[in-house]
Amino acid sequence: MSNQPKKPLQVILHGMDARTQKIMLMYFQGACKGAAIIVEELDTEVDIIDIDTLIGREALKKLVARINLRPIIVLSKDPLELENILYIEKPIRLAKILAVFNKAREVIEKKDLEKIVPEIQLETKIIAIENKKPIIKTQEVKKVSKYKTSMQLNETHFSAFIGLMTEINFNDEAQVLKAYYNPKDYYQGYVAAAFTMSKSKDRVIQLNSNWKSLLIFPHNNEIWLDADDKQLRAMAALEMNKATGAKLTITPANLELAMVKEKLERFYDMDAFIWKLAIWTSKGRYPQIIDIKKPIYLQHWPNFTRLVITPHALRIAALLVVEPRTMLNISEALNIKPQYVFVFVSGAYALGLIRQPIKKRNEVVVHPTLILKKKQGLLNRILSKLRS
Amino acid sequence: MSQYKIIFTGPVGAGKTTAIHSISDIPPIKTDAIAMDREKSDKGTTTVAMDYGVLNLVEGEKIHLYGTPGQERFDFMWEILTVGGIGLILLLDNTRTAPFQDMKFFLDAFSEFIDNTTVAIGVTQMDLSSKPTINDYHVQLQNLGLKPAIFSVDARVKNDVSILVQALLYSLDPGLEN
Repeated sequence: MSNQPKKPLQVILHGMDARTQKIMLMYFQGACKGAAIIVEELDTEVDIIDIDTLIGREALKKLVARINLRPIIVLSKDPLELENILYIEKPIRLAKILAVFNKAREVIEKKDLEKIVPEIQLETKIIAIENKKPIIKTQEVKKVSKYKTSMQLNETHFSAFIGLMTEINFNDEAQVLKAYYNPKDYYQGYVAAAFTMSKSKDRVIQLNSNWKSLLIFPHNNEIWLDADDKQLRAMAALEMNKATGAKLTITPANLELAMVKEKLERFYDMDAFIWKLAIWTSKGRYPQIIDIKKPIYLQHWPNFTRLVITPHALRIAALLVVEPRTMLNISEALNIKPQYVFVFVSGAYALGLIRQPIKKRNEVVVHPTLILKKKQGLLNRILSKLRS
Repeated sequence: MSQYKIIFTGPVGAGKTTAIHSISDIPPIKTDAIAMDREKSDKGTTTVAMDYGVLNLVEGEKIHLYGTPGQERFDFMWEILTVGGIGLILLLDNTRTAPFQDMKFFLDAFSEFIDNTTVAIGVTQMDLSSKPTINDYHVQLQNLGLKPAIFSVDARVKNDVSILVQALLYSLDPGLEN
């Protein structure tokens, strides 16, 4: 038997409030003498769940539903027998917890997780729990793209950044009505489907294509893609025919993960990524599923400081969050071109923020008129100042 | 000439002073002092009176930017500060123990002012603590029957603060021109 000290088991805690987590941290550092450390999701080897709480029981259901099981250690005051799950009866005793940790190690070594779980061995950091600062995630700071401030486009920059749909004449009312696209025909649709699957399975997955592989991390709402804006924009515009579509596959993550470790700046916030992909796919068109003659409403404001702000997007959001309107009515009320409304709606729809209330038969849609407010001149001057 | 102001509020350490500094045309007048209350462990100094900055508009017009004192023992000043205010910017620190409670506290404390104007919320320190997420805040706000603009904000970044203030202005009047 080797006398080498064992590497601490990298664990994540579920079903525990901040106070219990802190106690567990102290227990691991103290009595357990470093046998385990609490890490972030990406680094986790073992899940530890307290199932004597409601959230703990819910968390257990989700973890069991995962196809790629990491060892799970359940803490409970009641005896429990679940297949492939390690159990520690409360009150927790040192000998018992250390024995179970050893069993978990054996499982990890034996299965090597069948190479299904991504082997992202990012720097292991003990999560610091300080007074009033519960969890500081040090890796987050290195994900610079995720926290990059937004770009605010005006009408002049729109075409250069978004691209033009030369085949549509937006001055022709008939063409405007048909200025739609189906996200499912584009890369956007595949990314959206992969993200939905990743969320529902609660696991890291990979979208493979002839282009570049994209990783989805559902727990942190992140994606990882080694591509710059120019490349992504070109990919967004490509219509995927059936043949191309067949080459897009979704698999458990198996990318060369040393690359992920080296390129933390290639992590993107999922919403910011989806939004950008949607506006580049839209190019001023609206998603086909939306009925242009029916009002839509915005569930809540998008997180604009981390998104590309398309022309008039803040105004549209402010208007649409208050009451439902049709897209053409928004264009009319704000006196802006319809493609600015369409591109906003495409982004917001991709994020699941746009809803279309069911219109009753023969119901006439009445749009409230925008009333000029008293301080409009002053507010406009402040806006000009802020945007100068 | 009328005096108009935008009020910045939020708990100690949420970035009010920094946010005002980011967009002000003058070096902000800071009135930080050593924190004496329970919040001392969070931040070495805290604002005991108020922060002040200015946006200089055309033709000499000025918009005054006021930061409220973070400590609750100065809350008697909040009502006075809001008189003549255009709207409220609420900044929340995501690394604090209970940011939702902070949010509710400040929304309650300024409810009358918000009813008469509007509010936009910036969540700071999200690079240090990514949870709760902005969507989690939306869920809390919907439970309160509110739908204000709420963004992730780095108070040091002028663009972030500027967009938050722009959202506040458009919330007041979406008919404003771009």
